[in-house]
Amino acid sequence: MLAGLKSKWAYLTIAVLFAFLILIPFDWFLGRYTTLMIFIGIYTIVTVGLCLLMGYTGQVSLGQAAFFGMGAYISAILSKTYGVDPWLAMLIAAVMTGAFAYIIGYPIFRLKGNYLAMATLGLGLIMWVLFRQLSQFTGGPDGMPGIPYLSIGGFIFDTSFRRYFLVWFFCLAVLLISQNIVRSRTGRALRAIHGSEAASESIGINVDQFKVKILVLSAVYASIAGSLFVHHLRFVSPQPFDFLASVKLVVMAVIGGLASVWGAIFGAGATRILSDEILLRFGQWDIIIYGFILMLVMIFMPEGLFVKLKDVFNRLRLRYRQRGVEP
Amino acid sequence: METRGLSKAFGGLVALDKVDLSVEAGKITAIIGPNGAGKTTLFNLVTGVYPVSSGEVYFQGKLLNKVPPHKRASLGIVRTFQHVHLFSHMTVLEHVMSGRHPRSSYGFLEAALRLPKARREEEAISLDAIKYLNLVGLGTYAEHDALSLPLGQQKLLAIARALATEPHLILLDEPGAGLNTLEKRQLSDLIRSIREMGITVILVEHDMPLVMGIAEWIVVLDSGAKIAEGTAAQIQKDRKVIAAYLGEEAE
Repeated sequence: MLAGLKSKWAYLTIAVLFAFLILIPFDWFLGRYTTLMIFIGIYTIVTVGLCLLMGYTGQVSLGQAAFFGMGAYISAILSKTYGVDPWLAMLIAAVMTGAFAYIIGYPIFRLKGNYLAMATLGLGLIMWVLFRQLSQFTGGPDGMPGIPYLSIGGFIFDTSFRRYFLVWFFCLAVLLISQNIVRSRTGRALRAIHGSEAASESIGINVDQFKVKILVLSAVYASIAGSLFVHHLRFVSPQPFDFLASVKLVVMAVIGGLASVWGAIFGAGATRILSDEILLRFGQWDIIIYGFILMLVMIFMPEGLFVKLKDVFNRLRLRYRQRGVEP
Repeated sequence: METRGLSKAFGGLVALDKVDLSVEAGKITAIIGPNGAGKTTLFNLVTGVYPVSSGEVYFQGKLLNKVPPHKRASLGIVRTFQHVHLFSHMTVLEHVMSGRHPRSSYGFLEAALRLPKARREEEAISLDAIKYLNLVGLGTYAEHDALSLPLGQQKLLAIARALATEPHLILLDEPGAGLNTLEKRQLSDLIRSIREMGITVILVEHDMPLVMGIAEWIVVLDSGAKIAEGTAAQIQKDRKVIAAYLGEEAE
């Protein structure tokens, strides 16, 4: 009875949130935030991958922008320079980025902790340099304009309104898939690896293989996000994939709560709103503020702001309910 | 389980020196010896945590030397750790469910799309896990965070997680360390009932009353070499063993 009631409320909450999400881009509602929401959706996709990798499996990546950038550039170059269909370009980008993650996965996971962080940081820097220097393909530091829109049949995603639904379709699909993985045999194995690699091996979990698989998955997510990013902006340059971008992605994952799939929306949202609406005024000083936020969150709520808020909410609700029961 | 000439050297330090060991299936065998005798090293070689320096490890007639550690679980070898090694942010039930890993098979894709195979296996996994949890008497704590349990129950949980892999051989590394008298008695009962399930038990243990009470065969290591083996009664009278524990003047 109680369980039935609880799930009824859960369904109602989900329905209301979903309706809200659908109504956002309409002009009479929150239409002026459509572009912001598109970016939040794109960054959520990358952040979820990072949550699976860092929060659940315990493997640090300070170079996630490398995969994000690979998806973006491969999509851009194939669809613009070589005239490949954008959807096919997106698929090729995801496969290539995933294959790249697979190849570097085994050597990179010989490292642990700080060394792994340094190696992934190096990966991010190398990719950024390649995006800048391979200018005959990438357009160099000035970037590359004129990337085509995505389209289905004759329906072209040429307005923000249309792209909003495209991006959030991908975003929700990625969130659902990730949630299913977390609540499965695979998800338990990932969390086991985070807890104790020795104990994981002892109960038959192939630790190296799971680490590589989750890196590949997070790379594919980042690549899809990168493709959506360039087909939205129709322009690509190295700047969104620099070291600061990797740090921002970590901030998003940490604010959302590393071990929380849905928190990724919150993390990506809070960070994007902060950078688009507030930190713009601080210019180059924003990195200091990001660093500061990262420190505060890690010290005072290492389980993440989103998870912390959820806890506080649950506690308040419990107290309210207890008061209701007493005469 | 059998070892032949099993040796392990860390640099110049010989931790285990040409140990021949034959463990009878279905029995409780204890490995005892002073600190640094090579007991835990022997466990690490049998479970594949370290590669062997020389010699062989056999299990059910199969040479194990080249088998990676995670594959040994599906062959039926499992261990527990001196320092428990539970997973953080995981409930008691989830721990035992993770122990079902080698006895289930659905992967990333089935999990991602929640295909029927995933749902069917997941249900079987949780039912089996509850069974093993009840076996060690932790059924009522299923939804508790594992790290919130007292040490005695954490050790029982680690054993339940290991049993969930359906082993033929279980290696217990100092299961009695840190337990009080009552918990030790429960542990002895549990080890006996594991044996009755047909599982071979090897334990490393410092608590002599516990060892003498349950072990059917005792192997004594000292400075990396086997110095004696036999029943509890034989070992207690063995001059070399007394010398190793009490010093040379006992000779």
